[in-house]
Amino acid sequence: MKNVHGIVYAYHSSPALGDLTRNRTNASLPFAGRYRLIDFALSALSNAGVRDVGVIMQRDYQSLLDHVAGGKAWDISRRRGGLKLLPPFGTHHEGDYVGTAEALNAVIRYVRDIPQENIVLYPADVVCNVDLTDVIRQHIVSGCGITAICSDYVPKAVHYRLTRKEDGKAEKVLFRQTDGSQGVLATELYVVRKDTLLELLDRCEAENRFHFHRDCLAAYLEQGGEMDIYMYNGYIRRIDSVADYFESSMDMLKPGPRADLFPEDRPVRTKERSDVSTYYSEQAQVQNSLIADGCYIEGTVKNCIIFRGVRVAPGAVLENCILMQDTVVGAGASLKYIIADKDVSVADYVTLAGGEKLPLVIPKGSKL
Amino acid sequence: MVILKKNCIAMLLAGGQGSRLYALTAKVAKPGMPFGGKYRIIDFPLSNCANSGIDTVGVLTQYQPLQLNRYVGSGQPWDLDTEDGGVYILPPYQSAGERGSWFSGTANAIYQNIDFIEMYDPDNVLILSGDHIYKMDYAKMLRAHEEAGAACTIAVIQVSMEEATRFGIMNVGENGFIEEFEEKPAHPKSDLASMGIYIFNWKKLRQALIDDENDPNSDKDFGKNIIPKMLADGEKLLPYRFEGYWRDVGTITSLWDANMDMLGNTSLNLFDPQWPIRARSPIRPPHFAGSNAHIEHSIVTEGCVIDGQVDNSVLSANVTVGAGAKISYSVLMPGAVVEPGAVVEYAILGERAVVAAGAHVGQQPDGSEGWGVATVGPDVRVACGAKVPAGAMIYDSEEVQS
Repeated sequence: MKNVHGIVYAYHSSPALGDLTRNRTNASLPFAGRYRLIDFALSALSNAGVRDVGVIMQRDYQSLLDHVAGGKAWDISRRRGGLKLLPPFGTHHEGDYVGTAEALNAVIRYVRDIPQENIVLYPADVVCNVDLTDVIRQHIVSGCGITAICSDYVPKAVHYRLTRKEDGKAEKVLFRQTDGSQGVLATELYVVRKDTLLELLDRCEAENRFHFHRDCLAAYLEQGGEMDIYMYNGYIRRIDSVADYFESSMDMLKPGPRADLFPEDRPVRTKERSDVSTYYSEQAQVQNSLIADGCYIEGTVKNCIIFRGVRVAPGAVLENCILMQDTVVGAGASLKYIIADKDVSVADYVTLAGGEKLPLVIPKGSKL
Repeated sequence: MVILKKNCIAMLLAGGQGSRLYALTAKVAKPGMPFGGKYRIIDFPLSNCANSGIDTVGVLTQYQPLQLNRYVGSGQPWDLDTEDGGVYILPPYQSAGERGSWFSGTANAIYQNIDFIEMYDPDNVLILSGDHIYKMDYAKMLRAHEEAGAACTIAVIQVSMEEATRFGIMNVGENGFIEEFEEKPAHPKSDLASMGIYIFNWKKLRQALIDDENDPNSDKDFGKNIIPKMLADGEKLLPYRFEGYWRDVGTITSLWDANMDMLGNTSLNLFDPQWPIRARSPIRPPHFAGSNAHIEHSIVTEGCVIDGQVDNSVLSANVTVGAGAKISYSVLMPGAVVEPGAVVEYAILGERAVVAAGAHVGQQPDGSEGWGVATVGPDVRVACGAKVPAGAMIYDSEEVQS
C-alpha cells in the first residue's frame, strides 16, 4: 500500500482506567498476555503494507517509547518513511488535547508533508484486527473523501453512530448514543483522503474547534461530503475503563474473539522479550486461561490472563485474574478478580478479592 | 563499505545432515531442528555468540538449507543485524574457471570460505558446530587462548571413562597444553573430550587449511586431520575446560533426553536474564489452556491450544492437543496436532505432524531390548485409530493407515 499513510492516536489516558493508566496512556496498556493496545493498530497497518506511520503522543509516553522504539517489531523501521513519533510540535496547544482534530492540528506540519493520498486514522485503544487492505480497496473504489469503519456491535458506553442513506453511504453523525436503535457504530477508525482531511482541519484551526466527529465529520456531511461505510463485524472493542478492560480481557478466553483477533494471516506483532517456554510443575492446575511465555506455574490458575514472566508459587490459587508481566504470587496466596499491573509482588498466604463487576486493580510494582 | 578489522569472528558448521535423526532431518538440516519448546538448535551457538560479543558469524550450509536460511534471516533475533557485523549464510559456490564443489569435510568447508574470513582480517577464528545444546562464554575462552599464545584452543568437557570411547580425547601434559589427541580411543588415557569448539589463530589455521587441502590423503576434517597435524608440527594447543550443561542431540534418544532435561533443574538455566537464549518467534498469541486441560511437569509455548492431558512433555509453538487426548513423556514440535482421544507417549512428533482421533503413538518402556522412543516425521498424518509402536520411525502417512 504505497499510497496510504497511517496516523495512530496514542495520546489519550482514560480517567476511568484509574491506576492502569497512571503512568501510561491507553495505547501502552498491556493486553491479552503479551501485547500493548497499540500493537493492534500498528500490526493492522503493517499487515496492510502501510509502512509510513505517525504516532501522536502528548505526555506520559515513556512506556510507549520503550515499547514502540524504532518500530522494528512491526516492520515499520524504514530508511525512507517508516515510523515517526509525534509529540506536540507547536506551543499554542496547551493542556491535554480536547479532541482528535486538535491533536491532528498540533502536528499539522507533519500531516501536510505526508506524501500519500490516503490516510488511515486509528485510535490506539481500539482492539480489533480488521483487514485494512480490504477497507482501503473499498475506499479507493468508492471515490469518497472519507470511509468510516462501522460495526453492528453496540457498546454500553456513550459512542458515536452513523445513519446511512439508501445507497449505504453515511447520512449523519449521531452523538452521545447509548443504544443501537439507530444507525451503526462508528468505530472511530477512518480512511480519509489527505486533501479532504486538510480542508477539514484548516477549518477547525481557523474556528478554534477541536473535535473530529462534531467539527469535521458532521460538517463534512452537512456540506454534502460523501462518506462511505465499511462494515466490520468481527471482534472490536474500545478500552476506556477498568470494566471495559476486564471484560475484553476475559473475552480472550472465548474461541470466537480469539480467532477474530489472532488470525494466522494477519499476525499481531509486539516487542519481543526472548522468554523461555512456560513451565508447569507437578502441582500445577490450569484451566480456561491464556498464558504467555516465560511463566513458572506451580499453583492453580483458572479463568485468568497471565502475561510473560509471571511466577505462581505452589498452593497459590488464582481465579478470574489478570496478572501483567513479571508479577510474582507467593505460596498459598489466593486472588480473585484481581488485575495486577507489572512487577507486582504478592506475599505468601495473602488473600485478595475484587468484585465481578469491579475487579481490584493493584498498581505497578506494588508489594503486598 | 568499510569493514573494520575483527579480533574474532565465528564460523558455524551447519551443513551436516544429521542422518541419525532420520525422518526429522529429511527436509531440514540438524541445526534447524526445533528444541526445548521455544528454540531451534542453532539458537544456542548464535545466542552464545551474541552474548559473548562476537558480532560476525558465517553459517556454512549445504544439506537442506532453505528452512535454516529463512530462520536465520538477517540475524535480527540475536541482535546480529549490525552495520559492521552480521550473520551470513555461506553455501558452497563456484569461482571463475572452476567447477566449484561441495564441502567435502569440516576443514574443507572453512577452506572454501577463506576469502570470506579474510574480509574481516581477524586475529582469531572461532569454529562452532550446530548440534549441541549449551551456554558458553566464548569471550572467556578467547581470553585464555590469547593469554596462552596458543595456535588453537579446544573446548573440552569431562566425560565418564565409558563415554570417552565415543569422543575425541585430549591428553594434557604437565605444561597444561595438549600432548596427544585420540579420536574415539578404545582405551582412553584421559576423560577430557573435545566439544568440537575451536578457536584458531587465523594465520596458522589459514596455512593449515591450505596444507591440508593439498594433502590427497586427508579427510579434510578438523578432528581427524587439522588438529593432529598441528600437534605433530609442535604447535601450542590449549585445552579450555568447560563445566556445565552440554549435550549432543544427534540421535533420536539424545534429542529426546535433552528435551526432557529442559523440564528439570539442569545447570542450563534458560531463565537467566544475563545469558538469554534468543529465538525467532512465530508471532502467535499466548497459549490457551481449555476447561478440560491438565498440564503438569511440562513446558508449553506460545500459540498452543491445549484441552487434553499433558505430563512430562515439551510442547513447541502452535501445538494443538484436543479434549481427552493424552500426551506423556513426549516432544511435540511446532504445529503438531493431537486430535481428541489420541494418545502420544514416549514419542517425538515432527513439525505439523497430526495424530488423528483415537490413534496411539509410542508406548511406555517395557524393559525389552527393542524398546525406543517412537518418532513421527514432519507433516505425517497418523490415521484415526492407527497404532505406532515403540521405537518406530514414520516417514510417510501411508505407513500409518488404520
